[in-house]
Amino acid sequence: MKKQFDFKPDRFYNSNHLWSKQEDDGRITIGMDELGLDSLGEMAYLSLPAVGSPVEMGKVMGSMEAAKMTGELFAPISGIVVEKNDAVLQNPLLVNEDPFDKGWLIKIEPANWADESAAMVSGDALPDWMKSEIERFETQGIAG
Amino acid sequence: MNTWRYIENNDVTASAGLAADEVLANRAGTGISQPTLRLYTYQPCALVGRFQTIENELNLDYCVKNKIPVNRRPTGGGAIIMGENQLGVALAIPGKSDETYASVRERMAQFSQGIISGLATLGINVEFRRKNDLEVNGKKIAGLGLHKTATGGLLFHASLLVDLDVAYMLNVLQTPFEKISDKEISSVAERTTTIQRENLNPITLNKVRRTVLNGYKTAFGVNMELSDFSHEEMDEIRQLEKDKYMDSGWIFQSTDVTDAVGKSIIKTDGGLLDIHIVLAGRMIKSAYIGGDFFTSEHAIADLEQSLRWHSSQDKSLTETLTQVYERWSGDLANLPMESLIKGLMSAIQKAEIMARKHSSDPYGCFVTPGSAHA
Repeated sequence: MKKQFDFKPDRFYNSNHLWSKQEDDGRITIGMDELGLDSLGEMAYLSLPAVGSPVEMGKVMGSMEAAKMTGELFAPISGIVVEKNDAVLQNPLLVNEDPFDKGWLIKIEPANWADESAAMVSGDALPDWMKSEIERFETQGIAG
Repeated sequence: MNTWRYIENNDVTASAGLAADEVLANRAGTGISQPTLRLYTYQPCALVGRFQTIENELNLDYCVKNKIPVNRRPTGGGAIIMGENQLGVALAIPGKSDETYASVRERMAQFSQGIISGLATLGINVEFRRKNDLEVNGKKIAGLGLHKTATGGLLFHASLLVDLDVAYMLNVLQTPFEKISDKEISSVAERTTTIQRENLNPITLNKVRRTVLNGYKTAFGVNMELSDFSHEEMDEIRQLEKDKYMDSGWIFQSTDVTDAVGKSIIKTDGGLLDIHIVLAGRMIKSAYIGGDFFTSEHAIADLEQSLRWHSSQDKSLTETLTQVYERWSGDLANLPMESLIKGLMSAIQKAEIMARKHSSDPYGCFVTPGSAHA
């Protein structure tokens, strides 16, 4: 039986399987989606950028060790880090257990949300993208 | 049939060996270099995993005194010693492709098939053990790691124990032992094995290397073309070695969550139970279970392995330990699970107290330099 992966329709996704969600105050919360996490396995360690540091879309913003591999985390948008989730640093498994809520990674004051969010997948385009990404994952093994 | 490149090296330094592997994987990710298998040995050195705290894993005084270089791998897992009797295996391949290996989710298991397949021809039955070990009859014979580079390349690492000087290893690594006597050496020797021990006749490292090479050819259905680094690769290797693997910022990097050590000794019906854990936040990074109760080293090794990178929460621990006890019900009869949980929780609480102390006194008794590396 094929595994089911949940995607929240209220956010934007990129090909590295990070989600971005604009909060009421305009800040962007960043997290990892279920498909990306399935290819990494249980998180063992996370390194996230310091509050106040700038991040740039597509550039390394942190790194992680998961059950299946180590690797870098790439910023899905540009801006300044305004908050990082200490709870996931203390307990990285929280990212696997609750990726869309308590397992968020960082919050960013965006520099160019309008343009950069347009490069991500959201809204009506999500169901088809999800389907193709799951197929890609089934054949290539690693999301992102 | 596809052709992969094959590179053999001997006696490489820790910094050059690690830089070469990362360059190969980076270039495989961008498609500039072919998929490459590298089988090599290091000059004596000690390597920690990507996020380990080096001071907690290695006996740095001993390493300095004995001129043993230390370094940090890009791959995860635990601290290891490398030298002329440990075969380094590095496989650098693109992360996305139409190759047969691409459809496998458990890539660590898949990439170790070359070792498993090769050693099977010697009559050694090796099994993959999640998350990152190869075992023979429950004893560790190789440690594994996988790293995805920024270019999307994959670097698979294995350290294969052709032979092992356990006493030397225990001097290099930080251990929970008060002293290293024959008892401790024999206990660790019981939990690990080597190709020399498993093979009926003495075997050279070169013979093991050829065996592993043939194993990869068979397991992946590829030809291997003996090659060497290109001039361009050598330039990149030297640069990366200088910028990263010779940089103390990388080697001694601090982590966001400081490790904390907790110990407990409790009296059980079967004897004294001695527990030593390393905690990072709410994750158990490693656990040592000792004491004078009678049980099999295999069962203890399984318990310790199951606790590595495990949540420190009571409920979650109980679930995991229940499964291990089901596997070893007879062997663990002298170590009641309730006692083990009690001992673990006591050690965890002590580690948590130590972690809180460190976080409120960040300029404590040791220094962890910051890092410029991600």
